[in-house]
Amino acid sequence: MERNNIAVLEPPRTPAPVSLYHKQRRLGDGILTALIYLSAAVTVLVLVGLIAYILIQGVPHISFEFLSTGYSALEGGQRGILPMIINTLYIVVITLLIVTPIGICSAIYLTQYARQGKLVRSIRFATEVLSGVPSIIFGLFGYTVFCVMFGFGTSLLAGCLTMTICILPTIVRTTEESLLAVPESYKEGALALGAGKLRVVMGIVVPCAMPGILTAVILGMGRLVGESAALLFTSGMAYDMPNGLLSHIMDSGRTLTLHLYQTAKQAVDPDAFQIAYATASVLLILVFILNRLAGLLSRVFRKDQTA
Amino acid sequence: MDAQMNNPLAQRKRRRKSLVMTVLALVLTAAALSCLLMPFVTFTLNKTSYTFQLWQVLTGYMNVRDTLISLPLTAKAGTVLLPLLALAGGVLTLLKKHTASAVCYALSALCPLVVMMAANTLSPQFIDAGISTVSVAYHTGLLVMLAALLLAAVLAMWAKGGEKLAESIFLVFACLSVGSVVIITVYMIAAGAPALSEIGLGNFLFGTEWVPSDGKYGIAYMILSSIVGMLGAILIGVPIGLLTAVFLAELAPRRLAGIVRPAVELLAGIPSVIYGFFGMMIIVPAIRRVFPSSFGDSLLAMVLILAIMVLPTIISVSETALRAVPGAYREASLALGNTRVGTIFGVTVPAAKSGILAGVILGVGRAIGETMAVVMVCGNVVQFPQLLNSVRPLTSGVVLEMSYSYGLHRQALFSIGLILFIFIMIVNIAFTIISRRGVQISGKE
Repeated sequence: MERNNIAVLEPPRTPAPVSLYHKQRRLGDGILTALIYLSAAVTVLVLVGLIAYILIQGVPHISFEFLSTGYSALEGGQRGILPMIINTLYIVVITLLIVTPIGICSAIYLTQYARQGKLVRSIRFATEVLSGVPSIIFGLFGYTVFCVMFGFGTSLLAGCLTMTICILPTIVRTTEESLLAVPESYKEGALALGAGKLRVVMGIVVPCAMPGILTAVILGMGRLVGESAALLFTSGMAYDMPNGLLSHIMDSGRTLTLHLYQTAKQAVDPDAFQIAYATASVLLILVFILNRLAGLLSRVFRKDQTA
Repeated sequence: MDAQMNNPLAQRKRRRKSLVMTVLALVLTAAALSCLLMPFVTFTLNKTSYTFQLWQVLTGYMNVRDTLISLPLTAKAGTVLLPLLALAGGVLTLLKKHTASAVCYALSALCPLVVMMAANTLSPQFIDAGISTVSVAYHTGLLVMLAALLLAAVLAMWAKGGEKLAESIFLVFACLSVGSVVIITVYMIAAGAPALSEIGLGNFLFGTEWVPSDGKYGIAYMILSSIVGMLGAILIGVPIGLLTAVFLAELAPRRLAGIVRPAVELLAGIPSVIYGFFGMMIIVPAIRRVFPSSFGDSLLAMVLILAIMVLPTIISVSETALRAVPGAYREASLALGNTRVGTIFGVTVPAAKSGILAGVILGVGRAIGETMAVVMVCGNVVQFPQLLNSVRPLTSGVVLEMSYSYGLHRQALFSIGLILFIFIMIVNIAFTIISRRGVQISGKE
């Protein structure tokens, strides 16, 4: 028995030790590194390819006329996208007007006033869960609630209300995060100086969190510009020129995304594809600008935090 | 604050302000109640029109083809509650119970909305009765009442002081957004359930035929297509996404990361319709060229587009997780003689496991829920999913048929929505729990 044990404990024969001065090449490592670089390259190439392809095909067809005239489905009619741009603006502006106060106020209540107990935690859980629900479900919801139950019909207003519910969880969550990031000592300092709760919140906490809140709003704006599934049933497909500033809210109207969807789906002649490409380019440029704006703001935010 | 309150002058000022608010609130209540006598809603059925004052909601009815239709019970309950609540609010204001009166006012302000919603639910009944042109119009009385009562609620609260008012406004908005979360959940179940019970859960989930005109509602192939498409996208997207995240978190020189990271962010922000359009113009023709037997609109196209679309989600969540791994882990591994790549795959990635898993789950959710991009490339034929044949996942089923469906067909679409909703809920809850666990672990270390 003992002999056997000793035999087992004897170290196995190892190959000659590698010199520290010779860098050992490992094939596996090399392959993995190459794969890592390759994946990053694929990611960037897909993006660059997609953007370049659409811009190259679309930008030549963007003209002042394209941006400033109406659209008609008739042959030889106008092929502009002005109504769609206006509709998109309506959706973005009205939705933000509704969603920003609601979102910021609820985030303020949840972080500053509510007792941080089980209830708030479960609310946070619910908003987190709901922010991942696909927009088609919000579309179904918005259609029956706002178009049918409230009687708004397929209208921009119904689209706006649907989008409000759609992006509310995201806005609340991001605002909450930036409100929670404000150092406790700021609040304590203000309270020690005799400021009331409201003054502390509106004078200290909210201004400090402003860049974060603005980023949330701009990201929401990006989502509004790009949204299609939730608007398909709620804001409808009409492409008429708006004929009244206020009454247009109750009209049906397609946004840029829906216009792209519709023209791409129905396109038969190359002319129609040109419209689709040009619309896609306009959308891409819009999204790019919003994206850069959000990036810039969050950089400002980070600088503030480190300072 | 205390010093101000003790000051008799300030106290008198406060009391006077409180009195003004109370009086104003009462005036507004009276204004709202007087709206009860104004026309509230008008139904126009073909050529005859029926106008209801609010109090007439209780007693009035419409004569439709010799059947008498009156407004639904919820509308009646709303009409009864409205003046009662408003009066209660007025009395409570006089008794200086400001919070309670504000609540009463706010609730009574909701009543006109309830009546309005209930009135709108009547429309299908008229259509069933054979009346084609139904229009429902609301009058300004509704808006006046709503605004007056809401304002009265604000004033009643203001009488208690600015701080309290602000807090209650925040509370109301918080309730609004939490309420919308709750309502959408309840609503999806309520809208999807009737068709499920009519068709039968088994027939619906496991039936393979989807022919609404024949009354066949089986979504097995749609579910299968959604799942297969999602799995394919994950299979392609996860390795690329994870490795890109590793690149960004561990290997990339600063300048290169400064290019790749915004690119990923931009990828996340591009509208899904543009992905769909890109797929339509590039991926579908490419598939058609490589496999001449296929139309191009296929499961493969769907998988490829979804793989691109889940990339940013997976990358950003995994990168955050990789960055959260304490530097000491890496240093320890390197000090033991491990190589850089060995450290990454032997130490960092396993340590960030739960965060990466969370990213994958979020990607799963996105892939299942994606709608417009998929509709544009998948071909939309309901059949068993095969790589080069066209398929129809759950989401596109809803989009394509919503506009012309009615009756049971439409309800069945809502049931598809419910199934989708349940799917996503499970995925999201899993994500939230797993990503929390990840945070807790990295928090403890």
